[in-house]
Amino acid sequence: DDSDTAGDAVTSFLGEDQVVKTACSPNCRGKCPLDVFVRDGQIKKVEQQVPAAKTFKRGCTLGMTHLQRVYNADRLKYPMKRTSWSPDDPQPDQRGADAQFERIAWDDALDLVADGIQRAKREYGPRSLLWHSGSGDGGITGYRRLKELVGGLQDDFTYGIDTNVGQGFNRVTGEGGVFMPPTNTADDWVNAETIIIWGSDIFASQFQMDAEWILDAKRNGAKLVVVDPVYTNTAEKADLWLPIKPGKDTHLALAMMQYIFEHDHYDEAFLRSRTNAPALVRADDGTLLDPASVTATPPEDGIVVFNTETGSPEVVPAETNGPFALFGEWTIDGTTVHTGLTALREQASSYPPQAVADTAGLAAADIETAADWLATRGPGGIMPSYGVGRYLYGHVFGQTYATLLALTGDYGRHGNIHAQHPSYDGSYLETGDWNDPDGAAGVDTYGYNRVLDLLANGDPVQTKFMYGMNSNMLGNQFPERDRWLDAMSNLDTVVWADIYHTPTTRQADIILPAAHWFETEDLLTTYTHPNLSYRTKAHDPLWEARDDYYIMAGLAQRLGHGDKFPDDKHDVLDRFVKNDDRLSWDALRETGTVATDETPTVAYTDEFGTESGRITVYDDDAPVEEGPALPDDGVSLEVPKPLEARTADDWAHADEYPLLFMQKHSKWRIHSQWANVPWLREINTEPQLDIHPKDATRRGIDDGEYVRVHNDRGSVVVRAKYNDGIQPGLVNTDQGWWARDFVDGHLQDLISAETAKVGRTFAFYDCRVEVTRAADEHQSNEYTQHNPRGSSGTATDGDSS
Amino acid sequence: MTNYGLVIDQERCIGCQSCSLTCKQENNVPMGQFWNRVLTQGGDHVDTPSGDYPEGGDGGTLEMTYQPTACQHCENAPCVKVCPVNATYTRDDGIVEIDYDKCMGCRYCMAACPYNARVFNWDEPEHRPEDGTGDVAERPQGVVEKCTFCSHRVEDGLDPACVVNCPADARIFGDLDDDDSTVSKYIAEYDTHQLLDEKGTDPSTYYINGEMSPGRPWKSKKLESELDDDEAAKAARRRSGSVENGYDVTPHVPAETAGGDD
Repeated sequence: DDSDTAGDAVTSFLGEDQVVKTACSPNCRGKCPLDVFVRDGQIKKVEQQVPAAKTFKRGCTLGMTHLQRVYNADRLKYPMKRTSWSPDDPQPDQRGADAQFERIAWDDALDLVADGIQRAKREYGPRSLLWHSGSGDGGITGYRRLKELVGGLQDDFTYGIDTNVGQGFNRVTGEGGVFMPPTNTADDWVNAETIIIWGSDIFASQFQMDAEWILDAKRNGAKLVVVDPVYTNTAEKADLWLPIKPGKDTHLALAMMQYIFEHDHYDEAFLRSRTNAPALVRADDGTLLDPASVTATPPEDGIVVFNTETGSPEVVPAETNGPFALFGEWTIDGTTVHTGLTALREQASSYPPQAVADTAGLAAADIETAADWLATRGPGGIMPSYGVGRYLYGHVFGQTYATLLALTGDYGRHGNIHAQHPSYDGSYLETGDWNDPDGAAGVDTYGYNRVLDLLANGDPVQTKFMYGMNSNMLGNQFPERDRWLDAMSNLDTVVWADIYHTPTTRQADIILPAAHWFETEDLLTTYTHPNLSYRTKAHDPLWEARDDYYIMAGLAQRLGHGDKFPDDKHDVLDRFVKNDDRLSWDALRETGTVATDETPTVAYTDEFGTESGRITVYDDDAPVEEGPALPDDGVSLEVPKPLEARTADDWAHADEYPLLFMQKHSKWRIHSQWANVPWLREINTEPQLDIHPKDATRRGIDDGEYVRVHNDRGSVVVRAKYNDGIQPGLVNTDQGWWARDFVDGHLQDLISAETAKVGRTFAFYDCRVEVTRAADEHQSNEYTQHNPRGSSGTATDGDSS
Repeated sequence: MTNYGLVIDQERCIGCQSCSLTCKQENNVPMGQFWNRVLTQGGDHVDTPSGDYPEGGDGGTLEMTYQPTACQHCENAPCVKVCPVNATYTRDDGIVEIDYDKCMGCRYCMAACPYNARVFNWDEPEHRPEDGTGDVAERPQGVVEKCTFCSHRVEDGLDPACVVNCPADARIFGDLDDDDSTVSKYIAEYDTHQLLDEKGTDPSTYYINGEMSPGRPWKSKKLESELDDDEAAKAARRRSGSVENGYDVTPHVPAETAGGDD
């Protein structure tokens, strides 16, 4: 048993090691339990931990390199303030990459922050405070507690980042939220007969820490289909790769539906009992026939169907099968009606595989094969990630794949898959009132999609003070970076806590050094595996860095809430453990994890979360999407309709900017984390542009030359990398590089911050560019001197003073 | 006798480089050096294929394979033969190792090795952090170094770091002389090959292509020979297919009767 080494001293080959149980927690969602080996007070290595639920022993390349994140030249050592900033004369125009900082004492830093909060509240009102957090860590910090107590505004992923696909899925199933919906637990995937990985390089970007589940399914006979315009790591493992043109995913799914309709491969029983396929739709206005028009006392969740045995309409509740017509048109009391499935079939009939093959750059036979496998081989599923949601109208794809899986009856059975990572239900702590304290002032939430307006235009209120943590948004995930920087000049004070001096902390006025995860005691929830993790402190935070909890507690004390933050974080964790029958300190300390067992293997076995309890393959309450390239009166989405913005061939500026630009997630970073790890930079040295040799030679660009990628919003200079596996017409620079890593510009300078009315999600892949050889001055730079900055480890101003 | 060997299932390898990086950490490999590299067989760059991108969905010939490559621990090792000072030698357990005290940096072994598995410390080794990492002492400037199958771990009953930390379970380590070991069984049951076998080096590293294996079937850090009865039984069941990943999963349920967590 491996647990016998937990927290114990083990005799190592070079001396005595303390094996410390902890866990990783960036937003890959992996939260992999890790063993950290400490010798003479220094971390010497990191290994995959064998957790309580042993089969979930996991970890990726990044998790194994934490040591170089703990001991990293970019770490913030001391609280600092921008030299040109003072409370009375903040000089926001002096922020930026060249800003100078000076060391201050923790007490002074916390005084400045607390005074700033009180001053903003006093002078501009409580809503002038903006609390910002990204997804950089997942531990217990008290951040939520403090902001609830202090009040103000908070920003949030919903809506704004990656909120498309899940939103569309949720609209027609009533399940999940805006992110990935529930799916069968990972150990059930081996029962799948067909797995369609759709718009995800899963073996590189997210699930690689647990790749075995998909590999074992394939070994067990599952057909692996990969839909991706790039021949990726994942496509390399596919039985069938569909090299789709960007933005044509809904077309493809509709073509698969058309094939399934044409060959009668749909699951009749499932459609009748668990979807509104047989629901009668009024031809005049597209609404569902009112159950009250058929029976005086309809069941609450009833739909009107046409019973082919009685030859008349009747109202049926959810989860009810019967001789209900799936197709047909009738006139009932003078009203012409047809079934919901008739409307869906009608829509799909416009997308035969042969036609979609031309549109999507695919072979019709391959579309048919994928549809045939999914429909006829037995249980299967579709495993999307957030990729397709990074087109402006990507939420339609969520609706579409949910509907396609309804046609094939792939819900509620062993071997069904609906997302690329499972969601274990045991992922919670008994936190009591920790996040909802008595006396809370409360906060108003603004999705990231609305924050730019909030900052720039004071709409609806002018924010003056911002506290940020767990986030390098200005270095990574905020599109149109310059507009954010401009908008932030309306803030008198920007406070940022981070482990590193990032492109974002460089824009701050007060910088607070946070502890690395291994330097904290913590409890971690996760939903991608059934283990709850305990973080044992490997050593104290280096220099003057502090666990975010103690930063929050220090502020709370100064803001009159000191009694709500125990002096010792352990007391908070102790409360959670004692509240929770599943947890005990003995178990947590001994094994580092506690396995939860609260998740049904098979998801979607009960009524769906929609009003009718059925999947709405016909959505009578559909929203009307509005946005670029759509008709002025919008598009109503009762059934899936392909909507495109910049990926469309007839986009207004397609001639000027003929190349589509993507920013794939790579195996080298989670968002912008790990960009500064020297070992990784030895392999992945610098930002590159994947470009097909055909596109490159047409532009006179040699492999390895520096190119300027540009459009009407901005430009970035990166090194061209010939890649025969990228679709001609498409180029890619992997996401997550820091501003300093680019020779010039930044990839987010190319991306529009515009969002659609319904989707409300940043469209990082909905981008057109042109690529030209960069100026001669850029052909020789620090990278060509074999000294990539991220790997050189030279001290930055993070080390100053 | 024990004769250690490694089986790498290239059907399972996803090219994640965890083995290369965990190797650097475990063995305190200097910056700029790799004992264990995951090569991309395909295009000129890491993670790129060779061939033609399909046109209109047809006619594509793109191909890419990951080729994890480190010291092959050859039974008939050319490096051992050419070393003028007997610094490179084969241990009784089959591991090819270097005595760094004896190595005089002539690099004959590097010329002799057909796998480019060895690196030379031209300069003073550089480490991040400076004190180094892992569980192996630093090698000085002027010596050749390479993969040791993590002999320091093996001697302690642990699998090599690259094996323990492979997220795809693509690497299996064990005793080639034991017919019941997983490595021996996989070599017998699956389509395996040794690199450059025409050179007669008889590597102790075997690669699976074709049908995918269950990979490393045990969830532990230990060598297979050190597993307790329970762990060994679970691993055997996973290998035989009756249990996947050590989980007693519900067997495939026909569509007609499926539904519910039954």
